[in-house]
Amino acid sequence: MTGLLVAKQILVTLYSKYEVYITPILKFILALITLLMINSRLGYMDSIDKMTVVLIVALMCSFMPMNFIVVMAALFVMLHLYAFNLECTIVLGAGFLLMFLLYLRFSPKDTLVVLLMPICFLLKIPYVIPLAMGLIGSPVSAVSIACGTIAYYMLHFVTENVTAILVMDGEEMTVKFKFVVDGILHNRDMVITIVAFAVTVVLVYLIRRLSIDYAWTIAMAAGAVVNITVLLVGDLMFDTNVALLEVVLGNILSLLLAVVLQFFVFNVDYSRTEKVQFEDDEYYYYVKAVPKISVARPEKQVKQINSQKGRSVSRSRSAR
Amino acid sequence: MLNEERIILMTKMASYEANEGRRNVAIGRYFRSDYIGWHVLKSIISATIAFVVVFGMYIYYDFEVFMLDIYKMDVLAFVKRILFMYLWTTGIYAVIAFAVYTVRYSRAMRSLKLYHMNLRRLMNMYKS
Repeated sequence: MTGLLVAKQILVTLYSKYEVYITPILKFILALITLLMINSRLGYMDSIDKMTVVLIVALMCSFMPMNFIVVMAALFVMLHLYAFNLECTIVLGAGFLLMFLLYLRFSPKDTLVVLLMPICFLLKIPYVIPLAMGLIGSPVSAVSIACGTIAYYMLHFVTENVTAILVMDGEEMTVKFKFVVDGILHNRDMVITIVAFAVTVVLVYLIRRLSIDYAWTIAMAAGAVVNITVLLVGDLMFDTNVALLEVVLGNILSLLLAVVLQFFVFNVDYSRTEKVQFEDDEYYYYVKAVPKISVARPEKQVKQINSQKGRSVSRSRSAR
Repeated sequence: MLNEERIILMTKMASYEANEGRRNVAIGRYFRSDYIGWHVLKSIISATIAFVVVFGMYIYYDFEVFMLDIYKMDVLAFVKRILFMYLWTTGIYAVIAFAVYTVRYSRAMRSLKLYHMNLRRLMNMYKS
């Protein structure tokens, strides 16, 4: 454990020392992963489905604010969809526009969640986001998570129904439009996932705020269990064909990632908890103080060893 | 001679000015009613655009049926219903926006008040 704490301390020191370089690099990596994933899943427009274009855009993103990555990702999606099918572009474009107008305007910081959510879905660990946002965010984050989930399911619908949409090419525009809208709005899987994630965020938030020992750990575990339960209940009620093994394994992996997050954000020693009570003119105070776990970074000891040549010179000097 | 307490206070204040403070100072330049009113107005415009988008999609979804029905339906009643829905949607959204920006303004003011108190403390430290 001490080794891990020392490693954490070194990482924190390194980050604070080289923040100017590390932040753009992280932004570049995030933008690169996002754009490559979009290109690999959609990739209908050849002119932007090129590594050079992706690298240039990712490089631009590294020096711009975080929300620029979201804008670029949305632009890439819209361009690919435009090359594929106009109706899909209209429906998804309207979806993105509504999200921006009605919610993301209020909380521009949460746009990162909207970006991370589809990526985590593709990595089969979407459950980590509600757990993480319950721990470090607030219940309002459930709306951002819902926006991210809707964005993923809209894109998922298009990628899963490519053949069906292509077959409908000769049909009227309104028929294709209706097909896309119905496919997105009547997606029970999406609704259940949104409900499960919202319940998880609120529950994790409420438990981690409790004044009990190991509140964060209990919150994470309870969140994962409730997440699985709601998804399974939804499956039983609406027959959504949830892959049980995938959900359980995804939740376990997400739980482990949440433990890593806890290690970096909230690492306390409950064995040294102190409860103090005092008063002033207006209030009685019942304070519970839990110390953070911290270790001193080991000092580097530099031992100076003189070279043979130097030593012989110094000896000859002393002999004189 | 360095005054440790003064340096700590100045560092904290500089950090505040560079991060959270910048946004709060921008909010603090407005009167309460101006700030909230301006943002509620922007929210109403956003809600109007969103409503137009949703309405457009709703019409386009059943465009043929709509075009067939338009000659039979009571257009005035239809427009009234749409207007009623628009007012409801925008009204609810404006109330939510009002609540959000009221809380944001009062938080920013509280934070700025603390900042000004620290400024005064700093000035007293220099005088003494």
